[in-house]
Amino acid sequence: MSFVTLRGLSKQLPDRPLFDNLHLSIQEGELITLLGPSGCGKSTLLRALAGLTPIDGGQILMAGEEITHRAPQQRQIGMVFQHYALFPNMTVAGNVGFGLKMQGVPEPERRERVMQMLELVELAGKANAMPGELSGGQQQRVALARALAVRPRLLLLDEPLSALDARIRRHLRSQIRELVHKLGVTTVFVTHDQEEALLLSDRIVLMQDGQIVQTGTAEEIYARPVNRFAARFIGHYNLLDAETARRLLGHQGQGYLAIRPECIQLQPQAQGQARVLGHQLLGNVVRYQVQWQDQRLDVDTLNQGVQGLLPPGTLVALQFQTDQFREVA
Amino acid sequence: MPIARHWPKAVLGSLMGLLLLPIFATLVYSLSSHWGATILPDGFSLNWYLQLWAEPRFLAALGRSLLVCGGSLLLTYLVVVPAAFVIFYRYPQLDKPMGLLILLPFAMPPVVASVGLLSLYAGGALPLVGTPWILLGCYFSLALPLLYRALANRLSRLALHDLMAAAQLLGASAPKAFWLVILPSLRKSLFSALFLSFSFLMGEFVFANLLVGTRFETLQIYLYNMRATSGHYTSALVISYFLITLLLTWLASRFNR
Repeated sequence: MSFVTLRGLSKQLPDRPLFDNLHLSIQEGELITLLGPSGCGKSTLLRALAGLTPIDGGQILMAGEEITHRAPQQRQIGMVFQHYALFPNMTVAGNVGFGLKMQGVPEPERRERVMQMLELVELAGKANAMPGELSGGQQQRVALARALAVRPRLLLLDEPLSALDARIRRHLRSQIRELVHKLGVTTVFVTHDQEEALLLSDRIVLMQDGQIVQTGTAEEIYARPVNRFAARFIGHYNLLDAETARRLLGHQGQGYLAIRPECIQLQPQAQGQARVLGHQLLGNVVRYQVQWQDQRLDVDTLNQGVQGLLPPGTLVALQFQTDQFREVA
Repeated sequence: MPIARHWPKAVLGSLMGLLLLPIFATLVYSLSSHWGATILPDGFSLNWYLQLWAEPRFLAALGRSLLVCGGSLLLTYLVVVPAAFVIFYRYPQLDKPMGLLILLPFAMPPVVASVGLLSLYAGGALPLVGTPWILLGCYFSLALPLLYRALANRLSRLALHDLMAAAQLLGASAPKAFWLVILPSLRKSLFSALFLSFSFLMGEFVFANLLVGTRFETLQIYLYNMRATSGHYTSALVISYFLITLLLTWLASRFNR
């Protein structure tokens, strides 16, 4: 029995349907990520869950109750926004305590719970600061504390890390994961960043054009993409059409052949069949662009230092881990 | 080098002096018992002020000015604050036409506007000319641009939808969210527009004179009517008016903190 169920959800935009007959189940205590490119409907889906965007059809159930037409304030859902949305007229403590105040929690208990939440996000010292005095990362932690203070049944995070710089993003990412698992709150996280989704989620829901393309754990989605979109979006796969796959690799198949960049080895060789076009340094990994007849391939190798880099024009032999080949639609 | 360094200060200082000179001269004149053919006043006294503040006609005019200013500002705030919020929250495309609309009261010279208003409201269904009600309407249209502009600047930078959504998800109804979150966030704009429109309306003369005149004597009309009496007396009047405006805006800014 799932905790949150979306049953046949549909939403019409003025010019086209955004999503149509969408189904999704979320288990209690699960951290699920809605992943997809911008405009795929993931944020709208989140807002529909919160009751901030009306839907045109279907049902939303939470803990067995239908909440499709319930007002946002009656859903017991907490939400964190991309740009924090802290109340600029209140202190940090005022922000975190706002929901408790609305619930009529008396002052002494409210203050205690606010301090507990602030300690949880390591901002107890900032209780009396105004939001404008905090850094972006701190503001987002306050927003998280504010959303969690009311003990919501469901926590929604709408690209909460997108406005932050890389270092803070990494730190806050692990903090969010720790926190929601510690509190056991069911969480839906929206992002367009596949790395974030892979690191954070118990389960990923990959979306494209208002459709759910694939649902699964990070390992499942990364290793077994169901179609070209999933392969490109999540694993940076090389995609060869059936004809090319047959010609170059002798692979007999119907659909596209997806090969992950790390499943190809390259060896500099005078009679090599492919030529290096260039490379990108991704830190511990070097991604080479290689031309093999009319096919371009990305090949990932471990970064062995600057002197080991292959200059453009080098001829290389390619070796494939054929057991890692995957055919997609 | 020292000249270059002191140059901005010197310019600023002389400009301030130039602007303050008439006020200072008026102040001195209002405090002097007699100042005719000599370079310096003959003597100083508070007589003019005592006389002014004992004059029932002056006190009545002051009361009327405060009443009509306060009334029109109240009306303006009651109408414009919710309107600006609704525009930015639900109909942001209306902000552009509003931007043009609020230029109208300034684009049209008050004298021209008065003539039109006179012929519209002299008789007919709404004979408002000669009553304070027409001033209420006029002053509304004068304060509207100041308030709307100040609010629009703030509202466009406020993440209105996110703030409303956040407050509602935390259990506040929409009116409560507006009252507890949006309105307090607009406080600075509300007060800055209040100072500006209050001092502007207290000094308004053209509409008051042409549309109502002596039938509802405001401070500026009273000043105008007293122009033939002693210059010391009118100076005391001007300084008093100036100090009252200053005092009220200071009180408001104290309250704002």
